[in-house]
Amino acid sequence: MLGLDADRLRADMNRLLALLFHQGVLDEQFLQLQQLQDESSPNFVSEVVNIYFHESEKLLRNLRSLLMDREFSDYKKLGIHLNQMMGSSSSIGAKRVRNVCVAFRAASEQNNRAGCLRALELLEHEYCYLNNKLHELFQIEQQRVLAAGVRYPMHM
Amino acid sequence: MAQLQRIVQSSATSYGSSSGADVAVPDKFPNGLRVLVVDDDTTCLRILETMLRRCLYDVTTCSQAAVALNILRKKKGCFDVVLSDVHMPDMDGYKLLECIGLEMDLPVIMMSADGRVSAVMKGIRHGACDYLIKPIREEELKNIWQHVVRKKWNENKELEHSGSFEDNDRQKKVNDEVEYASSVNEATEGVLKAQKKRICAKEEDDGELENDDPSATKKPRVVWSVELHQQFVSAVNQLGIDKAVPKRILELMNVPGLTRENVASHLQKFRLYLKRLSGVQGGISNAFCAPVETNVKLGSLGRFDIQALAASGQIPPQTLAALQAELFGRPTGNLVTAMEQPALLQSSLQGPKCIPAENGFGVWAPNNLGGVAPGSNLGGVSPQNGNMLMDILHQQQRQQPQKQQHLQPQQQSTLSEPSRSINVQPSCLVVPSRSSANFQAGNSPASVNQNCSFNRSAVIDYNFLSSQSNNSSLNVGQISDGDIKTTGILSGYAAPGSISPSASSCSVTADNNTSQHIQNLTMAFRAAGQVPGFVPNFADIQASYGAKSGEMLDQGPLRNLGFIGRGTCIPSRLAVDEFESPMNDLSCGKIYFNNNASRVKEEPNLEFVDNAKVGIPMLQQYTPNDLMSVFTD
Repeated sequence: MLGLDADRLRADMNRLLALLFHQGVLDEQFLQLQQLQDESSPNFVSEVVNIYFHESEKLLRNLRSLLMDREFSDYKKLGIHLNQMMGSSSSIGAKRVRNVCVAFRAASEQNNRAGCLRALELLEHEYCYLNNKLHELFQIEQQRVLAAGVRYPMHM
Repeated sequence: MAQLQRIVQSSATSYGSSSGADVAVPDKFPNGLRVLVVDDDTTCLRILETMLRRCLYDVTTCSQAAVALNILRKKKGCFDVVLSDVHMPDMDGYKLLECIGLEMDLPVIMMSADGRVSAVMKGIRHGACDYLIKPIREEELKNIWQHVVRKKWNENKELEHSGSFEDNDRQKKVNDEVEYASSVNEATEGVLKAQKKRICAKEEDDGELENDDPSATKKPRVVWSVELHQQFVSAVNQLGIDKAVPKRILELMNVPGLTRENVASHLQKFRLYLKRLSGVQGGISNAFCAPVETNVKLGSLGRFDIQALAASGQIPPQTLAALQAELFGRPTGNLVTAMEQPALLQSSLQGPKCIPAENGFGVWAPNNLGGVAPGSNLGGVSPQNGNMLMDILHQQQRQQPQKQQHLQPQQQSTLSEPSRSINVQPSCLVVPSRSSANFQAGNSPASVNQNCSFNRSAVIDYNFLSSQSNNSSLNVGQISDGDIKTTGILSGYAAPGSISPSASSCSVTADNNTSQHIQNLTMAFRAAGQVPGFVPNFADIQASYGAKSGEMLDQGPLRNLGFIGRGTCIPSRLAVDEFESPMNDLSCGKIYFNNNASRVKEEPNLEFVDNAKVGIPMLQQYTPNDLMSVFTD
């Protein structure tokens, strides 16, 4: 019964992942990340992704406060933040977030403040979606591990 | 590290003996490669760390550039390669790269999400050995050991080949160019000595790399902080890289506690660093201007007695300095300009034991090209001619009568920075210098790019600049410069001339672009190499004309000659702007150059490298009137 539960949860995970890939939210870099997870670091993916969320929220806050400043003109700083956001997003395979960052950076290079603001909104939206979906994924994962964990002793 | 050393050594030997095919690699390599990762982005840092560990590398991570630099300084020799992010808040990745390049000469791989060409280019320019675009995959990291091996390998190779370089090693030559140019300045000693010095310096560097215990060094180390380095750089800039000697730099920096030795060693590293940078730039320019390749090589030669020359008063030290400044000061951008021009010259000289080579390229606006076809003269250059010692070359320059100028009103052109720079250095390579002059002709929009190439060797630079029109004769063991007046040119040209006598032979090559102005009968020609009867007499001249020579013939004025003499050679170069030269009496070993002296600017530059052992008297004669008659249809 519990074993079946674990299998069902695994199927759920796969379905969710497939959806995220299909939507272009994630790309194969995320699979790379999953492959890095092994016995020596069983929680590697969620660990990295949590770091990513932590950093990204800081970056998003910075971006917003920069752009909201009335006398905003520091597009260079904006670019640096965006670059970091791009780097980390692409490193975990957050494809859509990364793409928005690219557009964002293009707007900032043209000193296009309105474009930057639009891009920021979009970025926050994409980030939020990613955040929710990945948390959902990790939750299922956790349940699955629990279910599997309960099952193993029974077989031993 | 010892393991790596073995690999490198074995690979180097196998390279030297055979074609470098098989590199003996121990089973475990590259396990345990010591990597320092610097990235302010902790997400990436964590991922990279894990990936690198999976490659079985020994990983140290660091999220701040300044901390990374401290680690590197404290544990000198404890890392094989550095992976660094480009954008970091506390210190720009490029700056870190620069510091690492200056202080420990480690291979540095840059990483960034910014994959735009400009960003990558910047990384390469600053000396990065690789540039990875995020997201970085594990496969890319698996391969980074190659940079470590390559670096070691190159160093070994450099050691083996210092003095004589492989033909196919052009990139390398370019790499070394600046270093040579700069080190040559102070070098008044013989070639051997200089080479030895260089090798010693290399060993020192290696020793430093492998020295795991920093405390082993007895003298207190000076930490070249970014600020201190800035001070150093500004002092060097103030002095000019060529004139920057440790003592003066020290005076300018005025930092208590800093010794001349500290500065000297840092200066040496700085030059190595510049050299690496120049290598990159050279490579880039080559890549972009494929047709403009200048491939010249110098074999090893006998030694030059510079001091004798200097003593004879023939070489004013300031001339050297001026030349160097010119070399360094010239923007590379001109190269690109040159490429856009329709005509490019390429000369490559090849031949065993060939020493002086010269090439340059000139660019002409096509419509200005006259119908001068030097093609027939080509036959005159034959490598198999017997040895002939040119006893006397006369080169004279005369001023053109004023009426000549009337005939050629369009030639009033402005020469901006006509520069002829020649560095002659024995026993090394001749590399194209990045100096180029742009000429703008008044009526005709043609721009002339002149690219001078100079020889670099550990030892000697000669530069001659003579601003006055002098007729000078070259005697044995002496250098005399003739005056060549450069005047504005309609079509623009770049004319490097080279005179390179080999031990038993001498060749005089003047690269002139013959540009004939249709109405005015202005003719430029290339002298020596193409002069029938003249060149054939030289032995050991193997000149291969650039691939483009065929096309050039049709255009007449475009041509480069490179000459390679053998044995002790005298590479010299004449940069002559429009020449109207009659080549008479070539068989007599005389060359007449005719110059229009009455032109806008004169910047004669004549470089000779004379081997003290070989005495070759050279005279330059320019007879203006004859020229016109000869070349005019």
